[in-house]
Amino acid sequence: MSSIDIAAVKNEIESRLESVDSLDALEELRVKYLGRKGVLAQLTSCIPSLPVQERVTFGKEVNALKQGIILRIEHKQKLLSASNKTAAGSSEGIDIDLPGIAQELGQLHPISQITEEICGIFTRMGFSVVEGPEIETEYNNFSGLNIPLDHPSRDAFDTFYLNHKAPLLLRSHTSPVQVRVMKKQNPPLAVVVPGRVYRPDATDASHSCMFHQVEGFMVDEDIRFSDLKGILEVFAKAVFGPEIKMRFRPHFFPFTEPSAEVDISCIICKGKGCSVCGRKGWLEILGSGMIHPNVFKNVGYDPKKYTGFAFGMGVERIAMLKYGIDDIRVFFENDLRFLKQF
Amino acid sequence: MKVTYNWLKDFVDITIAPQLLAEKLTMAGLEVVSTEAQEEDFVFEIEITSNRPDWLSVIGIAREIAAITSKKLKIPALPRPHTLRSQAKQALVMRVENKKDCPLYTARIIRNVKVAPSPGWLRQRLELVGCRSVNNIVDITNYALFEWGEPLHAFDFDALQENSIIIRRARDKERIITIDGQERILSPEILVIADGKKPVAVAGVMGGEATEVRSSSKNILLEAAIFNPGLTRRSRQRLGMQSEASYRFERGVTADVVEKASLRATQLIQEIACGEYVLEKYSGAPWRSRKSIILDPLQARKISGVKIPQSRIKTILSNLGFGLRPVAKKKLLVQVPFWRQDVVSAIDLVEELTRIYGYGRLPTSIPRVSPRVNETTPRDLVSIVKNTLLGLGLNEVITHSLISRQLLADFGINPESSVELKNPLSKEQAVLRPSLLPSLARCVSYNLNQRQAYVNIFEIAKVFSLSPDGSALEELCLGVSLCGEKSFLSGKGLVREEASPLHLKGIAEALFKKLGTGDYHFVSAGPGETGVYLGREEIGRVVNLPKEALEKAEIKNKDVFMLELALDKIFAVKGPVKKFIPLPRYPGIVRDISFICRENISTKELLKAMEEKGSPLLEGVAITDYYKGKQIPQGYRSLTVSCLYRCGERTLTEAEVNPVHEAVFRLLKDKFGVSPRVNS
Repeated sequence: MSSIDIAAVKNEIESRLESVDSLDALEELRVKYLGRKGVLAQLTSCIPSLPVQERVTFGKEVNALKQGIILRIEHKQKLLSASNKTAAGSSEGIDIDLPGIAQELGQLHPISQITEEICGIFTRMGFSVVEGPEIETEYNNFSGLNIPLDHPSRDAFDTFYLNHKAPLLLRSHTSPVQVRVMKKQNPPLAVVVPGRVYRPDATDASHSCMFHQVEGFMVDEDIRFSDLKGILEVFAKAVFGPEIKMRFRPHFFPFTEPSAEVDISCIICKGKGCSVCGRKGWLEILGSGMIHPNVFKNVGYDPKKYTGFAFGMGVERIAMLKYGIDDIRVFFENDLRFLKQF
Repeated sequence: MKVTYNWLKDFVDITIAPQLLAEKLTMAGLEVVSTEAQEEDFVFEIEITSNRPDWLSVIGIAREIAAITSKKLKIPALPRPHTLRSQAKQALVMRVENKKDCPLYTARIIRNVKVAPSPGWLRQRLELVGCRSVNNIVDITNYALFEWGEPLHAFDFDALQENSIIIRRARDKERIITIDGQERILSPEILVIADGKKPVAVAGVMGGEATEVRSSSKNILLEAAIFNPGLTRRSRQRLGMQSEASYRFERGVTADVVEKASLRATQLIQEIACGEYVLEKYSGAPWRSRKSIILDPLQARKISGVKIPQSRIKTILSNLGFGLRPVAKKKLLVQVPFWRQDVVSAIDLVEELTRIYGYGRLPTSIPRVSPRVNETTPRDLVSIVKNTLLGLGLNEVITHSLISRQLLADFGINPESSVELKNPLSKEQAVLRPSLLPSLARCVSYNLNQRQAYVNIFEIAKVFSLSPDGSALEELCLGVSLCGEKSFLSGKGLVREEASPLHLKGIAEALFKKLGTGDYHFVSAGPGETGVYLGREEIGRVVNLPKEALEKAEIKNKDVFMLELALDKIFAVKGPVKKFIPLPRYPGIVRDISFICRENISTKELLKAMEEKGSPLLEGVAITDYYKGKQIPQGYRSLTVSCLYRCGERTLTEAEVNPVHEAVFRLLKDKFGVSPRVNS
């Protein structure tokens, strides 16, 4: 007996284990090797006949072989009993390449998804979500927001008016909710306002007379333009990714001063210039600014004590940029094949 | 508005390249939307915000460049020319009927001009900014317009009847042919310039053909005026036209520029067309007093979050044309130039400072937010509703709130109780919808046309109506629509299922369960319509769209089922607070009964009677199967009702349950006339 015999036994059992295909055959194999009169027992029994200097090494090798065989048989046993279970459960095996079976889930409209995403970012920063009516007064939609009586946005070309005894209109932006909230509550305020808005724009690929906005504003004793920049940067990076660049470009809105339009580096060409950004490398995503002191006066806040910022964005615009949609009308066609993509 | 690099250089030293200049203008609020190299010059197209009419001129933009690049604006002096006394005093009757319509009107008469094509430089500059060359006189008025921002108009003086200029409202149905050759019908809402007989120009918008300067003209009247911005806007909207002139008058022209532009044009006419200046006449005051504002640099710091050095503050403001005088404690008394009608308070100056200093250089910070944790809002409840519906496989749609009166009529809704627009874009979008159903039906129809076999959609939106006292109401509403055959894979292969009102009932029940709404009922309201009630109040309905409505929506051979629920009413009733009910400690015994009964028997009453009869051991009954069709006689249906018997104190025995169950079954036979069906 020698180490050569041990290697031979090891090879033999490996090939036999390979071909075993039932628990019974495995048991037979176990008895043949590990049984009281099995191969391993025979190997052990010949140890005393070896020269003294070889006994220890040989004994160790036999023991290692035995442990190895035990583990292999146990493993094989698990495999065989597992396949046995499946076979008992169904008459034939499942083809896992067949379609999975589940109730089909419905889809939220992409505009709702983007609205939720935007509001979610701000609520995680501590903002509350407030909604307002779609039928508004001229005061809340214009005068309260420091929009003068002769401002073009008040024209019948830019705002839908109701045929009604009271001078009512369909809100042309979500900003009237600023007036509503500030009249009801005192600072500190941090609010976002999602909602439908209406403007008499003839429908084309980039205009719809009904669309969605998210408005946001914050008022406290010490809010600065730098805070507006900080909050909107967190927002833009959360929506468009941490690598985008931003710029604040001076603009004009009657209800903010100073006012800014916010551009992000084009998400298509990464700022190099392409057809989506009009070769400018920048995409305008929202309007913003520091709330005009006149708005504070209108709602009864002391403009010497409080400052604040406000911003507003078109949800369709953000959704079109994010999903690469080039025609706003597709949102309101509600083709199920479109809706199910998101 | 378009402006060229070289033209700007007439008024300010520009030492930076056009591309960099464009970038700097954009970041100062004059957004350069395109740049183009042309004919040894460079054309910028700039989007001008409505608050800055002073930027609608080369000089206005040059002034801005001066402030951005810390340079001085250089405007050559415009000497007031002497009128030629040698000429006989020219007769001119000038009258402004209403000072509000026209606060300032100036007329200059220049005689013996030589009308000819413009010199090359003049023609080229105008063409670069997109203005067609006509003749030297007209071109000069346009040149002065672009340079100063004040629209001018030259009349052929000899064509003016009775040597008169009258600024008045047009008479009803008065007519004028404008220089674009179009005949315009006027009305008293429109301001005109008239001679002794007829209108010769639509004030602030466009001149008339009859008095335009042509090659034969000799004597001209140069008009420079201010017209009421709102009136100008309404006039040109009524006439459906727009011009460089109206664009500027609408935004506001200031008195100082009127004078300057007029003098500049006179100067050029004398140089280029050799005219003799003979008369100037004014109506209205050319000058106004200037405003002064106290600026506290601390306020600027409080708003911007940065300290701009006092010296920088002074340079920025003075380069923009503001006058400065220091007052106490670093405060400045700032005198506002005439052309800055937009600057009325200190915050406007803060904007000027931060804008020129550069928004990009302002720091970035994160404010401390004091969150308000509100109670559950309707929005939170809407979110529960939406998630439940999505889980039930429904797809959200968003349809227009504005629909046509016709669509309402198609659905049998009286358009009189709906809220109408005063200024709809079209008939198609003239009323605010009082119901979501017509829009959803259209959506179903659209998708069927796209060959969808199954349409399952919902929308949550406001609906609008007039209350009995005439006020406009808006309520939050849910609409669900099902149509067609749903097919899906099950473990046994393809399953097909036709949509039905019971599916909508199931959806409503799932919502009520999720919202914790109790006490709801479904009450049949005639064929194809079921009312949904919360207590005694109707909160919605389940309907099969009637045939006429289906035809109008162009839906053929399909039934469409709709659910409409008033969410506001559901949200107003708070569901009971959820409480744990201990799980039963003893097993129950389930007995199923299958029977055939007449179709018109109310299952609701039947179950109720069973529960009463089996009380207290009968814990609950539930319909677990129903069938109608082959093997069942006409007018009958088969039902399987599962009865659960249980006792709270001990394990029930068969011996205890059997007599109760028999009594329940007897009741069915006696009271409802059912006959047993052998279980298969």
